[in-house]
Amino acid sequence: MIGVDANTLLALLPPAGVALLAMLVVIVDMASPARDRLLTVLAAGGLAVLMVLTVVVGPFPGIGLLSEPVEVFAGAYVRDSLTSLLDLLMMSIALLTILFGPDYLRPRGLPAAEFASMLLFAITGAMLIGGARDLLLLFLALELLVLPGYLLAGYAKRDGLSTEGAIKYFLLGSFSSAIFLFGLVLTFGFTGTTSISEVAAAVNQAVGGGAGLAPGLLMGLALLTTGAAFKIAAVPFHYWTPDAYQGSPTPVTGYLSVGPKVAAFALILRLFVEALGGLKADWTPFVIVLAAATMTLGNLVALSQDNIKRMLAYSSIAHTGYILVGLAAYGGAAPGSEAEAAGLQSVLFYAIAYSFMNLGAFACVAALQRRPGVTSQIATFAGLGRRAPLLAALMLLFLLSLTGIPPLAGFWAKWYVIQAALQVGGWLTLLAVLAVLNAAAAAFYYLRVAVYMYMRDAPEAAPPVVVGGATRTGLGLAALGTIAIGLVPPVTIAVIVMAQQAAQALL
Amino acid sequence: MYGLPLLTLVTFLPLAGALVIAVLPRERLDWIRWAALGTSLLAWAVSLYLLTGFDPAQSGFQFGEEASWVPAFGIQYKLGVDGISLALVVLTTTLTWISILASFGPIKERVKEYMISFLLLEVGMVGVFLALDMFLFYIFWELVLIPMYLIIGIWGGANRIYATIKFVLYTLVGSLLMLVAILGMAYTYQATTGTWVGAFDYLALISFGFDPTLQFFAFAAFFLAFAIKVPMFPFHTWLPDAHVEAPTAGSVILAGVLLKLGGYGLLRFNVPLFPQAALDWAPLIIILSLIAIVYGAIVALVQPDLKKLVAYSSVSHMGFVTLGIFVFTEQGLHGAVFQMIAHGIITGALFLLVGVIYERTHDRTIARMGGLAAVVPVYAALFGFFVLASLALPGLAGFVGEFLVIVAAFDYFPIVAAIAALAMMLGAAYLLWMYQRVIFGDLTDFLRGLGHHLTDMNRVEVVTLVPLVTLTVAFGVFPGLLLELWQVPVDDLLARVGSSVLAVR
Repeated sequence: MIGVDANTLLALLPPAGVALLAMLVVIVDMASPARDRLLTVLAAGGLAVLMVLTVVVGPFPGIGLLSEPVEVFAGAYVRDSLTSLLDLLMMSIALLTILFGPDYLRPRGLPAAEFASMLLFAITGAMLIGGARDLLLLFLALELLVLPGYLLAGYAKRDGLSTEGAIKYFLLGSFSSAIFLFGLVLTFGFTGTTSISEVAAAVNQAVGGGAGLAPGLLMGLALLTTGAAFKIAAVPFHYWTPDAYQGSPTPVTGYLSVGPKVAAFALILRLFVEALGGLKADWTPFVIVLAAATMTLGNLVALSQDNIKRMLAYSSIAHTGYILVGLAAYGGAAPGSEAEAAGLQSVLFYAIAYSFMNLGAFACVAALQRRPGVTSQIATFAGLGRRAPLLAALMLLFLLSLTGIPPLAGFWAKWYVIQAALQVGGWLTLLAVLAVLNAAAAAFYYLRVAVYMYMRDAPEAAPPVVVGGATRTGLGLAALGTIAIGLVPPVTIAVIVMAQQAAQALL
Repeated sequence: MYGLPLLTLVTFLPLAGALVIAVLPRERLDWIRWAALGTSLLAWAVSLYLLTGFDPAQSGFQFGEEASWVPAFGIQYKLGVDGISLALVVLTTTLTWISILASFGPIKERVKEYMISFLLLEVGMVGVFLALDMFLFYIFWELVLIPMYLIIGIWGGANRIYATIKFVLYTLVGSLLMLVAILGMAYTYQATTGTWVGAFDYLALISFGFDPTLQFFAFAAFFLAFAIKVPMFPFHTWLPDAHVEAPTAGSVILAGVLLKLGGYGLLRFNVPLFPQAALDWAPLIIILSLIAIVYGAIVALVQPDLKKLVAYSSVSHMGFVTLGIFVFTEQGLHGAVFQMIAHGIITGALFLLVGVIYERTHDRTIARMGGLAAVVPVYAALFGFFVLASLALPGLAGFVGEFLVIVAAFDYFPIVAAIAALAMMLGAAYLLWMYQRVIFGDLTDFLRGLGHHLTDMNRVEVVTLVPLVTLTVAFGVFPGLLLELWQVPVDDLLARVGSSVLAVR
């Protein structure tokens, strides 16, 4: 029975609201075409309103209309504090991306309506993943997330690189979706249910019974891991990222580096932690290896990149590795221990901090490319410190945060992950040491950009850099996030508390 | 007695100054320069005021300030000062205003950014000396890195980008491993006591008593971070590059304060937090210190570049600091701290003097100099004074620290003292030889070609050096002025290690 009561509506409000907003954007565009500015304001404003509503809905400690988690659709979708936290994060990502769009899109004649509506549909998928308690819904939401992503990647259709990147993204993305789906099927076949809580119960029973797991279920686990690893672009399943990132229009790249990745981690939380938490002894070793390989390879390859979008692509691979360290800490910790919760909190905290700083960095790249024809070579940053002091200062801020320099958000994120890993000890200590060594290596390529900005002179003919109002607002918000999460204790604490609450919802 | 949060004031005054400069118009160079100088003088005044209110006889930290920061992890904003850190704070504030004044002439490009960087650097340096919370300490520690990176990278010499990246990467590797150790300690503390309260509190941690394994590894991680900063052989290779490329004032701060951060860290954190590990590691560190002392001196002997010579002499002089710390005697610790202060003053002055000649000749090659005594007598006299101070002439500040350390080393093991004393002779050799080549003899063709550009020191340059001359003489003649200041912390430190030392012997 699907009871349509007030709580059901409240629980569904955020994703439904975003889906409606996406449709509204399409309708307004049809009614009065080419009103790019209006559409941007509409999409951004709508998202802002929905974010406020999400906070109002809750359930967060002390605030929110809902005081406890609400399950709807016979338990297929849940609104707990994790769902709301992820919803807020995904909507912030969409909001920032929409703000960064116009400056880049308009000079290239790319329409804003498609951009905004595709993005909003994708975000709807991401938000549904955050609350999915059923494997089928999880898969459908995943597809809703990635399909608009393919479109966005190939959306500059006269640009060869964009098309190439989109095709690679599409092919490998479909592949991984198929693999993932196959894993889901096997899991369903061997547990007889698609409900996540029932899968968890079946798995716990099998593990607890001492009989071990059926080979088919293990196969399903392997396929699920592979599929998820593709989605988060963990090494060695990362090959699609650099091309897709380099080819896509820059604001889209920024979104791709954050949105689908965070959503994929949401999926991992719902699937691996919630459904397959009982199997964590089996999957943790793989996560440790994945984490070590991902951060090390991502950083090493990033060192030699001359194209900033490729460099940031590899850097985002490295950051995936750091987040995986947090997941490994969850996996390696004894069930019910404090370290287990700390691992999950670190994953969430990292995802939040990473979203702001990485989007900010891409936004700076996009702002620089407002004039068509500006390449993505790092050399285009030469002398930016003098040509556009504020933009350069912001880029420096994001780069320092990505490096993990205190007290910015990126530092806290690394701190949280390392702290969780150390609590577990053993192999995780080595992983933590590897993570900090990687962070030191990463400083080299982040600072290289700073070197170009501040220590090399601009070419003679460098045109002035003009940044539009929407981008400015977005950059301001991203910078605010990066600084506030790191530096302003109440904000830091609020984020920590939210992450804690969300982690509790899972355990 | 002191209602004002003086330590916060002395730490963050420069930040306020930096913010003011940020809104000043870019083309008003004089406003920017005077605002920077004014701020740094104000911070200096506050630090001197601290000195007047400080009670050297009192054990523990004074002027303490405490506020909760991130209660979830028990992280606090906690500052305090003892004799050792107070001396280093005053050294920092003194050298900062001198450096800013010395930059008035040489820095003509992007003055605004330069002064902001310099003031932010001061925030970090002073903060490192005052922080009593491991987390807060780490933040200040990293804060030092960014402005110095910019100062070398933007206003440095031809090969500045290589030098600055090397500097950052070396420092970052060390400090990140230290971060792991800090977190490891905090977690161990939390796991044992069941609460995060105090997990980053320096005072709580030093009385916690970590198990030997953790001590061993955490000591290694902290040591690496500080040894790179000191820099100890074999982690010193970033230093000559950084010094050669840095602008004059950058070199002054680098040698005068940044290297002391390493020595201070060893004293403040390595020894009291991990006394057992400190004893275990001591022989190795003493050997490395001796290598640094001798190796730095020998390499300095053959340097063709004035700045490189002074840079390698720093490696040698700082070797006395680490040697003094790890012999664990009263004289040794006194000597180590004294050597830090004296080296900061004297080497800072030497870099200023190299900068003076570089301003006029745009060259630092020793082989192209000669006969300066006849043309620039004031310069020759001041240069001579600091060369003598640096080679540890008795009666000047450089002597006291090295002498105390050698006495302590003799106590520890006579051969060690013999080697260190030998290096003092090498010090006399490279410094006097350099002085002879640069100052005496006939004026070289290169210098003659400069004609009237080769002027003697101007008033600003003299003003920057006068305080340093005064301090060098004062501390050389009355070392007790300083030694009294940190008698109590040195005693406390020895008492802390003492039990372990006795147990071993």
